[in-house]
Amino acid sequence: MRMGMGSCRALLVGRGVAATASASIQKTQFFNSSSNSFGLCFSKSVLITCRNNNGVRSCSTASIRSSLEPPDVPRLADTARISLTQNEVEEFAPKIRQVIDWFGQLQDVDLHSIEPAIRADTEGSNLRDDVPETFENREAMIAAVPSFEEQYIKVPKVLNKE
Amino acid sequence: MSTTMASTFLRSIQKHPLMLYPTALFIRKNGVLYCTMKNTEVQTATQEKQKPRIKVPPRTQTITTNNVSKDYEAVIGIETHVQLNTLTKAFCSCPYNYGSPPNTSVCPICMGLPGALPVLNSKVIEYAVKLGLALNCKLSSNSKFDRKQYFYPDLPKGYQISQFDVPIATGGYLDLDLPVEFGGGHRKFGITRVHMEEDAGKLLHSESGSYSQVDLNRAGVPLLEIVSEPDMRTGIEAAEYAAELQRLVRYLGVSNGNMQEGSLRCDVNVSIRPIGQSQFGTKVEIKNLNSFSSVSRAIDFEISRQVQLHSQGQGDQIIQETRLWEEGAQKTVTMRKKEGLADYRYFPEPDLPGVILTKEYVDAIRDSLPEAPEMKRRRYEKMGLSMQDVLFLANDINVAQFFDATIAKGADVKLATNWIMSDIAAYMKNEKLTINEIKLVPQELAELIASIKGGTISGKIGKEILFELLAKGGTVKGLIKEKDLVQIVDPVEIGKMVDKVLTENPQQLEQYRGGKTKLQGYFAGQVMKVSKGKANPGLLNKILLEKLNAKS
Repeated sequence: MRMGMGSCRALLVGRGVAATASASIQKTQFFNSSSNSFGLCFSKSVLITCRNNNGVRSCSTASIRSSLEPPDVPRLADTARISLTQNEVEEFAPKIRQVIDWFGQLQDVDLHSIEPAIRADTEGSNLRDDVPETFENREAMIAAVPSFEEQYIKVPKVLNKE
Repeated sequence: MSTTMASTFLRSIQKHPLMLYPTALFIRKNGVLYCTMKNTEVQTATQEKQKPRIKVPPRTQTITTNNVSKDYEAVIGIETHVQLNTLTKAFCSCPYNYGSPPNTSVCPICMGLPGALPVLNSKVIEYAVKLGLALNCKLSSNSKFDRKQYFYPDLPKGYQISQFDVPIATGGYLDLDLPVEFGGGHRKFGITRVHMEEDAGKLLHSESGSYSQVDLNRAGVPLLEIVSEPDMRTGIEAAEYAAELQRLVRYLGVSNGNMQEGSLRCDVNVSIRPIGQSQFGTKVEIKNLNSFSSVSRAIDFEISRQVQLHSQGQGDQIIQETRLWEEGAQKTVTMRKKEGLADYRYFPEPDLPGVILTKEYVDAIRDSLPEAPEMKRRRYEKMGLSMQDVLFLANDINVAQFFDATIAKGADVKLATNWIMSDIAAYMKNEKLTINEIKLVPQELAELIASIKGGTISGKIGKEILFELLAKGGTVKGLIKEKDLVQIVDPVEIGKMVDKVLTENPQQLEQYRGGKTKLQGYFAGQVMKVSKGKANPGLLNKILLEKLNAKS
């Protein structure tokens, strides 16, 4: 019950991270709970990645004084369209908390004299001319779509967008 | 396209009388009397025509209508999505062609595959700046893209690249002229913002099964979203705003503006409030509006629905929701209720650099902007054309360019207008051709008008030549020569023809001279026939009369 490749992409974090993380994504048994209808999801892949790198615990450091809000796991699960059992919520809450706290270290950096940078600076405008190019390896992409029928990507019927 | 556009308008006007019919059904169904809000004189006129259709005592209806328009005011704002006619998508080089086989124009970027990075198409910025300037907006010299998260199968990345808090253009306005049929008048509607974003794929829901089908060809196609101020008050004003936007994007060449293909999509927000109240009422969003007339009718329906609830003390039943316009039933129905604001969790798009507009860049685009529809209409008005003529000519950029080219060749303004609006428009309509597809070129229309004005050919012959030019092309001079159509203005030659006819019709001549002067028309016709239509009619009649009366 997956909806095309990208649709399982994470709703939690930036895509640059997703690219890195996805390299290590396997169809793991990390979630084998029947309540989880979407097999591959980013929020999980972060955890997987961390875990593969000697476990989640190694991601956090001892000297955090984070001012970040603790994660509201049920809401996160809801926005990522994942069903979690109460047990899972309790299991993941501290782990996600640790990841956030790890990033939370950045809060300690003094930025008073720094102008906010919303993205990395790039040299020049980095624009593209409006010249069509057909992607050569379409067949391979289509072949990787889990359910493809009569030229269409087949997905579960979802009528309510919000 | 030209005729279609012009006639779309006429059609929507002609359809207008039907407008109240569904409302009437609704009325009966609910056992209550109410009617679409009416403000302009013309609408009232339409309503008159309507009366026989509605099997409700007209008086009651009129009273209800008056109460409605007297007590309440509608507030309407529109969000319009315009699909840009770039060759490639917004962030990848996939070509986009409407109607291509599903999932053929896709790549890792627009399919949202991991690791693929977007690169912005420079045309998207160019078109956004063009439209921003044409809408009299202030441009942001430094804007950015943001991610709008939502989870739906038509959006492969799980987010849409859009612009959130810093749109590329803000605070403009759009001028328009209401059609004469709707009472006319000039309007200026505020533009809140214009921003760039990408389109989602297309989702087809199977009738039976439990699945849906996704076509990602459209995913990543560039859009401009134009948000209006809540300045419209009637369905007609809203439809005309949308029509003017369509005209503008076509004039600018940034989109084909085709509503049927979904290249121009309107979502309208409607609320009502008692007149005199400054606070807005609860707004309802209407989607699925595929034509200007459905924009107008859906809004008028929604206004009356809300007024109805309000006047019955059930104003609290107007809730913030999205309603769908059902074309078949001619009514709006609940699509989904809004449970709080959707949480899109916007954040700056880290994969794309900021959008920086230099003064030189903007100035260069400003200098190359074509004449906007509003400027064209004001210019035509100053030429002395009637508003009806002005609106017809300026409605379609191609017609306007044809007209401009014709008068640039020295053609008389009013005569050129008449030819275009009557015979040429009729021909295009019959043959289902656009003005760019007909064989007649502006140069030859100007030549034709001059030839008639200068007396080389008669108006009647001129018409014949016109149809020849429309269908086959060629030149006026060539056709006149080829078919020997030069008007005969030599009195001697015409005199000879008159003599011939009189000699050949002694009986009629006797009758004429016996007092049956009506026969003059008969003689004139015979002479014209002998001249093969080429005799100058004025001269012919003058000589004919002299000769008819001479020997009596």
